[in-house]
Amino acid sequence: MKNLIFTLIGCLMSGGLLAGNGQYEAAMGKNIPAMFAASSTEELTKIVNQFERIGDAEGDKWEPYYYASFGYIRLMQFTEDAATKDQYLDKAMNMIEKGEQVNPNESELESLRGYVHMMRLTVDPATRGQQYSGLAFNSFNKAVSLNPDNPRAVFLLGQMQLGTAQFFGGGDGGSCETFRKASTLFENDNDENPFAPSWGKSAVEEALKGCEN
Amino acid sequence: MKPLLFINLFLLAFTINGQNTIKGNVRDPGGEAVIGANVYLLDTYDGATTDIEGNFNFETFETGSQTLIVSFIGFHEYQKELTIGRDEELQISLKEKIDELNAVVISAGSFNASDEAKKVIMKSVDVVTTAGATADIAGALNTLPGTQTVGETGRLFVRGGDGYETKTFIDGMVVHNEYSPSAPNTPSRSRFSPFIFKGTSFSTGGYSAEYGQALSSALILDSKDVAAITRSDISLMSVGADVAHTHVWDRSSFSGKVSYSNLTPYFELMKQRLKWDKAPEEWMGNFAYRKEAGNSGLLKLYGNFSTATLDLFQEEIGDPTLTYPVGIDNDYSYLNAVYRDAINAKWAVKLGIADTRSFQKSMEGDNGIENELTGNHVKAVLLYTPSDRINLQAGGEVLRTENVQKYLADTSTLRQSYSRNIMSSHIETEGYISKDLVIRAGGRFEFNSLNKATNVSPRLSLAIRAGEHGQVSFAHGRFYQSAPDQYLFLEPNLDQERSTHWITNYQWSTGRRTFRAEAYRKTYDHLVKGTSTDLRNTGDGYATGFDLWWRDGDTFDGLDYWISYSFLDTERDYRDYPGRYTPGFASKHNLSVVFKKWIERITSQVGATYTFSTPRAYTDLNMEGFQQARTPSFHDLSVNISYLMNSQVIVHALVNNVLGVNNVFGYEYAGQPDGDGIYARRAITPAAKRFFFIGVFITLSKVKSINQLPNL
Repeated sequence: MKNLIFTLIGCLMSGGLLAGNGQYEAAMGKNIPAMFAASSTEELTKIVNQFERIGDAEGDKWEPYYYASFGYIRLMQFTEDAATKDQYLDKAMNMIEKGEQVNPNESELESLRGYVHMMRLTVDPATRGQQYSGLAFNSFNKAVSLNPDNPRAVFLLGQMQLGTAQFFGGGDGGSCETFRKASTLFENDNDENPFAPSWGKSAVEEALKGCEN
Repeated sequence: MKPLLFINLFLLAFTINGQNTIKGNVRDPGGEAVIGANVYLLDTYDGATTDIEGNFNFETFETGSQTLIVSFIGFHEYQKELTIGRDEELQISLKEKIDELNAVVISAGSFNASDEAKKVIMKSVDVVTTAGATADIAGALNTLPGTQTVGETGRLFVRGGDGYETKTFIDGMVVHNEYSPSAPNTPSRSRFSPFIFKGTSFSTGGYSAEYGQALSSALILDSKDVAAITRSDISLMSVGADVAHTHVWDRSSFSGKVSYSNLTPYFELMKQRLKWDKAPEEWMGNFAYRKEAGNSGLLKLYGNFSTATLDLFQEEIGDPTLTYPVGIDNDYSYLNAVYRDAINAKWAVKLGIADTRSFQKSMEGDNGIENELTGNHVKAVLLYTPSDRINLQAGGEVLRTENVQKYLADTSTLRQSYSRNIMSSHIETEGYISKDLVIRAGGRFEFNSLNKATNVSPRLSLAIRAGEHGQVSFAHGRFYQSAPDQYLFLEPNLDQERSTHWITNYQWSTGRRTFRAEAYRKTYDHLVKGTSTDLRNTGDGYATGFDLWWRDGDTFDGLDYWISYSFLDTERDYRDYPGRYTPGFASKHNLSVVFKKWIERITSQVGATYTFSTPRAYTDLNMEGFQQARTPSFHDLSVNISYLMNSQVIVHALVNNVLGVNNVFGYEYAGQPDGDGIYARRAITPAAKRFFFIGVFITLSKVKSINQLPNL
């Protein structure tokens, strides 16, 4: 009888533990695709709020903050008002900083920081172009040095090279080579961490089409 | 039986531990629904996002006492201890954060250009891309309302104030002799390159109690923090060359720059009005070291060193065939160190020390003046910020100036000097009553060791919202400044001169359009009056006027322009004036129109600036009266272009006074009348009709997009 009780308690306890993990996995599994698919401010706000709650509750995971930040970058693209855009980008940066408290030298977070700088630039290219293009390049380069196999860091670097070259009137600015490198890296991009960022493969294929002509 | 009992117990536990609903509504202080706020229980997954009516509703398995958090962009985080299961409907009111995006800011008498602040009407880059400004800070600010064009000096003359009434501060520290030397009646340039500053605050009156010893205007320059990118820059210009390097470490950076300028080749090519023996030549070194310390400390060291010479032959007024040599040698150094740190979340401290040394020898024929100035400034400021609604600062400083002047004549030398300590303290508080009303009040107390007097300068300003995009500001203050050097040499115990400002301002701003209108009244008293043998502080004067400003970067694609207009009515009875007259540096109407356009097709920014000012008064010695004659109006059209050849090379070219207008700033008269009793005269005009400049700016950095555009 005692054995049965212990077995029962044991089952409930392990079930509880599983539920704890399951909760994270279920929440991340649901919200990550939802964040990429969301097409309204309302939907995205709900999702970034959830990611922030998950990050705060877990306390030792950077991934929820990564997606919260990514969500804010997406949110920023849904508004026309420059001040609101900046507020969303402030929040995106805030999420990156929270993630870095958990994992200080995460290449994915550094790439995202570069992405935030890139978006800042687009708010007011005439006055911000110089400052933020420098900062964006700096972040992408740092992200690559933190993890040379991070295809997203390499892809974003290529985007910045292409943007700069287009701005100065032509050429690819070395972006095609960078995109090809990113494409190779995507082939081997299978992180054991199921919630590690994995976006970008189709974007780089799309970018490479521009290199064919 | 027993197992069943246990199962029952577990089931019971589940019911106790069952789901509870937490629901409620979130509103802002105005009663409007807050949409998109994150409402959750601390350290749990349980939460919701408020809907379009501000409502939230979520389930939780948590029990007992929990912390409910409500957070949303622009609002203070809300926390509340809850006992789960009470099934109440929560009514939550969030408190708005006071920040630059939503709150009114004091704008009376103040023009701010910044890289960092989001709600500014000027950007740092504007200072350096304005045509006609030739990348000179004063040149760019002279296109703003409240300034008067005084082309023969290159300095900032603000609202009927003389050039010396504008003081420059770098990171809060006083700078003496901030202009490079120039030939008599030719414009000088600021020694400080605009590239090293992240923020420029140009006050045309009513400025903060932290600053003193300036009757009209404070130019407050904020230097850049730790640099982000290691880079080297090379500039080749028609007037010289410079080499700069910035090295970045983990939490520190060092930038050094060496510049050489020599106008000889340019003057060979372009005909000049002056007969140069040795065209202006200058070596200048600049360095900036920044280091972050601890969590929040930042140390800034800055140094500027230069040596400059020029020699020319000045024509005798009335007889251009007779000339005498004029020469200037100048050695200058400025050093400052500023440290700021937060003591805790509410208290912060700012410490600074600055040292200026300037030696200048100016010869005219056999006579000359040798001036040696040493200025020291030590300052400490304590800042207290208990919330985002109120802050308080208090500081103390000592400003020591040693000034020695020697008059060199072929037979004798006359030495005059003064040494002055100004000890001052200030206290100021800025409080937001709401995000629609802010008040700043403070005072400054100064003791001047020369006249042994203590002065009290009250300062008060406020801003109040007026409509969705508008605000009204008001500023008042009293300002003291030690009498000008030339009088202190003769009479060291002269009182400080005094001015009182009253300013009211309306500002409307949306997107990249800004309209400003500002009216002011400034009175002067205790101005130095009399002649060298009898100097007293009995002079006075006034300046009344209004300024208009319109900037628009939205209406036309890629085109940014602004229009400044200033009306000034001013008179003074001071110095050797026989009564109240309008001084020679004042002009009634000043207009500037500045255009900047980015042309994608040629990857170039082009700019044009038109400046107009109405006649200035001067005294015609051949006519009855004083300040009775008028110069012609002043016109200038300047254009510039910055061509981004690639991401690392920029070519910059400019032409000032494209139209070739013969501008006359005033007249100089001979000391004695000629045989017919007529005083011969000579017009004060620019050194050449037009000024041309071309430069190539090359940046070397691992980061390929960096170039020197922000520097142009």
